[in-house]
Amino acid sequence: MTDSSGFDDRSENDSSTHRGQLEADGGEAGAPIDTEEARRRPYVESQVVMATVRLISPFVLTYGVFVTLHGADSPGGGFQGGVIMAATVVMLAFSFGIQPTREWVDDSALLGLVAGGVALFAVAILTPMAFDGAALELVVLESTTTVAVKWWVEMVEVAIGMMVAGVVVGLFFVISSGVFGTDEADREGDR
Amino acid sequence: MIEEFIARHYHVAFIVVLAIGLYMLIESGNLVKKVIGLNIFQMSVFLFFTTAAYVEGGGPALVGPESVPGEHSNPLPHVLILTAIVVGVSLTSLALALVVRVYREYGTLDEDRLEEVMAGEP
Amino acid sequence: MTLALELALIAFVVVTAVFAALLRDVLGSIAVFAAYSLGLAIIWVLLQAPDVALTEAAVGAGVMTFLFLLTIAKTTRPDTEKPLKQVDLKAFVVVAAVALLMLTTVPAMPEVGDPDAPPVSAEHPTGEQTPYSYYIENTYVQAGIENAVAGVLVVYRGFDTFGEAVVVFAAAVGVMVVLKREVLK
Repeated sequence: MTDSSGFDDRSENDSSTHRGQLEADGGEAGAPIDTEEARRRPYVESQVVMATVRLISPFVLTYGVFVTLHGADSPGGGFQGGVIMAATVVMLAFSFGIQPTREWVDDSALLGLVAGGVALFAVAILTPMAFDGAALELVVLESTTTVAVKWWVEMVEVAIGMMVAGVVVGLFFVISSGVFGTDEADREGDR
Repeated sequence: MIEEFIARHYHVAFIVVLAIGLYMLIESGNLVKKVIGLNIFQMSVFLFFTTAAYVEGGGPALVGPESVPGEHSNPLPHVLILTAIVVGVSLTSLALALVVRVYREYGTLDEDRLEEVMAGEP
Repeated sequence: MTLALELALIAFVVVTAVFAALLRDVLGSIAVFAAYSLGLAIIWVLLQAPDVALTEAAVGAGVMTFLFLLTIAKTTRPDTEKPLKQVDLKAFVVVAAVALLMLTTVPAMPEVGDPDAPPVSAEHPTGEQTPYSYYIENTYVQAGIENAVAGVLVVYRGFDTFGEAVVVFAAAVGVMVVLKREVLK
């Protein structure tokens, strides 16, 4: 099984072009994907798509952050912003190949996003209890801390945004890795 | 009669689209198309909720210190639906993961052939 | 004018849904489904629900389409000779019966945008304040938040939102269990 080393070799020799393993009509009978030949087959690249994605993805990501941070004053919030941020990564994966994007996105950063979101949400739940309020009763914080309710709401929105972005990107990678993965667990169910 | 339906066009659209989603769920043999049908069905219900939240001449639910009811759409259904959309995408990915797993185990996504393959196993 | 636009959008949504049902090619179904989601997102802008429209445009037309494409790339795409399927008569009769039953309830619904409809009226018939009226009058006063949707989401229904986040997280765990895989390489 030389799959993983094969990937490394290729990315060193061939760093100018990005290659992935997505085949539009792959897996007719499940067989072609399994061969080394098929794994090395380049992802069908489109210069137009790659140039467009390269151009717009920074703006889309910025817009996602904007939507998350301005949820209290304008339409938007954690759910919307998180999905837009995740869509940026998904877009990159589809234009430059899924495997290179997976290698580029740090897995611990992804898990950190989700865990950080949960932690921030926990802060929002527990802090009011420390000030004689009920859980999540953010309104009591206005008088006891000098921070306006609005900023606590923004914090919860950021927490939701982190969680949603992390989970959606994670789901995408997990589903994509089922066939394209390189370890033994991937092969045991194949016929 | 016709005017009554025209004045409630979104409700009619909700029912028609819901019916199409239901049709896909019943008729389609392909599991991926069943999931698409489930999503079409689900989104028609979202249409019903947002229609209930809408008030003629009202703006979006952006409020100020002197906002009065009737000038804004109802924020509550919007909240329910936007969380439901995100939960929907999570559940869709779970369904698609099951589809991928079924294909890996049985080598087909067709409902009838799947039954044959499963009947053939001990 | 607005009514014409609304009817055109409804026609677009219904036609895309029909094609999603009748196209034999799953790839075609997915593409049409993305168009259907986009049509609904535009309808939600017309219905003054920008938050929902934003989410729908990003999820329905974006992430969901990618997930479907990924699934057929990983599994199979049936061979097709004819582009369209025959309508299955039995399923059609069942579905038409359901739809007709539901259509009989339409005249009893409040008109679209009726300010006296229960969800958007200021008072219950008993004279109590409705939640709608409470949210509109108090979100800014109590929490200083202009976007009432975010206010209701976090301040008034925080537990609900927490539950939704748990469901999203549980779905992620479920996918990993089904595919016997972790995000970590």
